[in-house]
Amino acid sequence: MNEALIVSNMLLWLAVLALLVVVIALSRQIGILYERIAPMGALMMDSGPKVGEEAPVFQLPSLGGGTVTLGGTGSGNTLVFFLSPTCPVCKKLLPVLKSLKRAEGNRLTLVLASDGEQPEHEAFRRRADLAVYPYVLSAELGMRYHVSKLPYAVLIDASGRVRAKGLVNSREQLDSLFSAQDLGVASVQDYLDAPKFAKEQA
Amino acid sequence: MDALTVLLPAIDPVLTHSAAAFVGTVLLIAAIEKLRDPDAFRDAVENYQVLPGAVVPAFARAVPLLELLAGVMLLPVASRQAGAGLALALWLMFTAAIVLNLRRGRDRIDCGCGGSAHTPLGKGLVLRNVALMLATWVAAAPMLGRSTVWLDIVAVGFATLFLLGLHFLANTMLSHQSRLLDLRNSP
Repeated sequence: MNEALIVSNMLLWLAVLALLVVVIALSRQIGILYERIAPMGALMMDSGPKVGEEAPVFQLPSLGGGTVTLGGTGSGNTLVFFLSPTCPVCKKLLPVLKSLKRAEGNRLTLVLASDGEQPEHEAFRRRADLAVYPYVLSAELGMRYHVSKLPYAVLIDASGRVRAKGLVNSREQLDSLFSAQDLGVASVQDYLDAPKFAKEQA
Repeated sequence: MDALTVLLPAIDPVLTHSAAAFVGTVLLIAAIEKLRDPDAFRDAVENYQVLPGAVVPAFARAVPLLELLAGVMLLPVASRQAGAGLALALWLMFTAAIVLNLRRGRDRIDCGCGGSAHTPLGKGLVLRNVALMLATWVAAAPMLGRSTVWLDIVAVGFATLFLLGLHFLANTMLSHQSRLLDLRNSP
């Protein structure tokens, strides 16, 4: 009798552990699904200058000297990246931004934008090794683009029009701004809603 | 530590040993993850905005060491009660910081629990910590003086594995929770 109980006890333990392993595997699979389903492109908040409209022109002093002109006609694309030293996702995206800038070379001007106390940003700029990029502090800039969540990015083309914009949380979402420009759509959401795509899906 | 034991009824050794091994391992894993990526933990402590900025780096360096100490002390029976006291103090401190930030409405910051997954603050995290504190409580309880056999050792091993699996599962689901809410609230 005793032996039978021991055997059954062991079997039950093993069964419970096996079930637990299965549940863990399932929850990890759900995690992958979340990653795939979650907003695929940079999420566009529908406020501020619309995609296709002229970007408001700003002339702002950059940290470390010099002035930066945003908007107006220029020589290439300008990516304005709104960030904050206290936002962890922004920090995660910095290496992505740097490699993006390297890949695009002269065709892209990368401008970092934020607001707040200058010393704090100077320290952040040194710590994160951002000295080569223009870095502007302007609350007005953020307000004109209605930036409500960080990190936020706006892509302005050579003719000074807003090409794409949105909240960006990952490399894919940053890239989506550029593919949005290539495809001539405002955002990935726009692309998915477009009649052509809907027909392809049907 | 005596006050702690007065409040506790004696508990079967299998339960106390499993609870101690479970809480000890959780603390050791947490400490190792924090030691591996000290910058991330320092940022997390900074984001809690509870401590003055000057204290943050020292605090961020001390916490993983305290966790390591508590974890190691929980494992042998001799130092278990002291280890449980330290662990309980750590959980209480973390939970207080979480509750404070939740009351401020800052439920988007990372909990700094270690690991690569982003886990925002929330009620679930508080519940998880309460469960960990209960387990620590059980680990500190005095043991019933019954003679143990080999089957008890096996049971302790399985039960510890089970609790660790459950803890891991809870963490995974907590980090999914925010994504689920994002999906539900998206247009």
